[in-house]
Amino acid sequence: MDIINSLAIITLAALIHASFQLSVSVLTLLSGHAIGAKHSQTRLFRLTTSFVVGAGIMTALLLSCISLLLIDIFGGDIPQIIWAGGCGLLIGVGLAVWMFYYRHEKGTTLWIPRSMADYLNRRTKSTKSNAEALGLGLSSVIGEILFIIAPLFIAALVIIQLPPLWQLAGVGIYTIVSLLSSIIVWVLVSNKHNLGKIQKWRESNKYFLQFVAGSGLIVLAFFVYVNQIIGNSIGIGL
Amino acid sequence: MNLAVDIIKRGGQRQSERFMREKLHASIVAACLSVRAPEGQAEPIASAVCESVIAWLQQHPEVTSNDIRIVATKRLRVYHPEAAYLYEQHRITI
Repeated sequence: MDIINSLAIITLAALIHASFQLSVSVLTLLSGHAIGAKHSQTRLFRLTTSFVVGAGIMTALLLSCISLLLIDIFGGDIPQIIWAGGCGLLIGVGLAVWMFYYRHEKGTTLWIPRSMADYLNRRTKSTKSNAEALGLGLSSVIGEILFIIAPLFIAALVIIQLPPLWQLAGVGIYTIVSLLSSIIVWVLVSNKHNLGKIQKWRESNKYFLQFVAGSGLIVLAFFVYVNQIIGNSIGIGL
Repeated sequence: MNLAVDIIKRGGQRQSERFMREKLHASIVAACLSVRAPEGQAEPIASAVCESVIAWLQQHPEVTSNDIRIVATKRLRVYHPEAAYLYEQHRITI
């Protein structure tokens, strides 16, 4: 697989990751609590920045960790069965996202364990310092691991086949692109945008976002399957 | 002013507690500020909503925290629909 193709897969996987909404939900709540508690705009900016940085650190750590594990197990030569397994994981998670991602009720509640959601709710309310906001960012990525594991796994498979410097670039690109939705909310909140409007947009478009995330996973599975399994079998792997 | 009304907490997992006007007032003010309403507008709105909820509570000696949220949302919608929306969404965002 050439570098352009690899980066395209990493970027698509990261875009799918960005369409998952737990970090955005937590960031919206955190901003609401900070504004409601009459914190200054500077403090709000610091809290939300720490949150986004925390989410970025955890994403980079998870991706690096999965890549390291895969290198340790397979070296640079990934067996076809693992690629096929990765595609299966993408399709499975894609179908699950289509069916279950948002709960069928008012608001933007997600199909994550309720204990995790309650924990994040409580932590969001009691977050006062930058370090706590950073920790909350780290936790919010873990809270969505059931959904983001598929794009992370495929991105890791692609990254370990790149030359060392490009591997670093791959982790960086994935991390930044996966944070895009959080960065958009962070910019809006920093510019004193109305949180009610942000949440209303998210609620109105939640099924569209769900459809996009599920479809993205299935499209990525198809692309990887054609590229890595069919392409390599008939000797035209890109 | 704390009414002699028992508030049963969400899911019945935590001990019930007495109604505290200040707590409700603070949460309404926070919702208004979150939608960038000025503090000078948020305070009187919160007071009006609290009065309205207290009047409702006088006919209901035992309620759940969710009941209070529903009634407060309804009253807040009259004064500031956007703040009411965010107040309602608070527990159903994640």
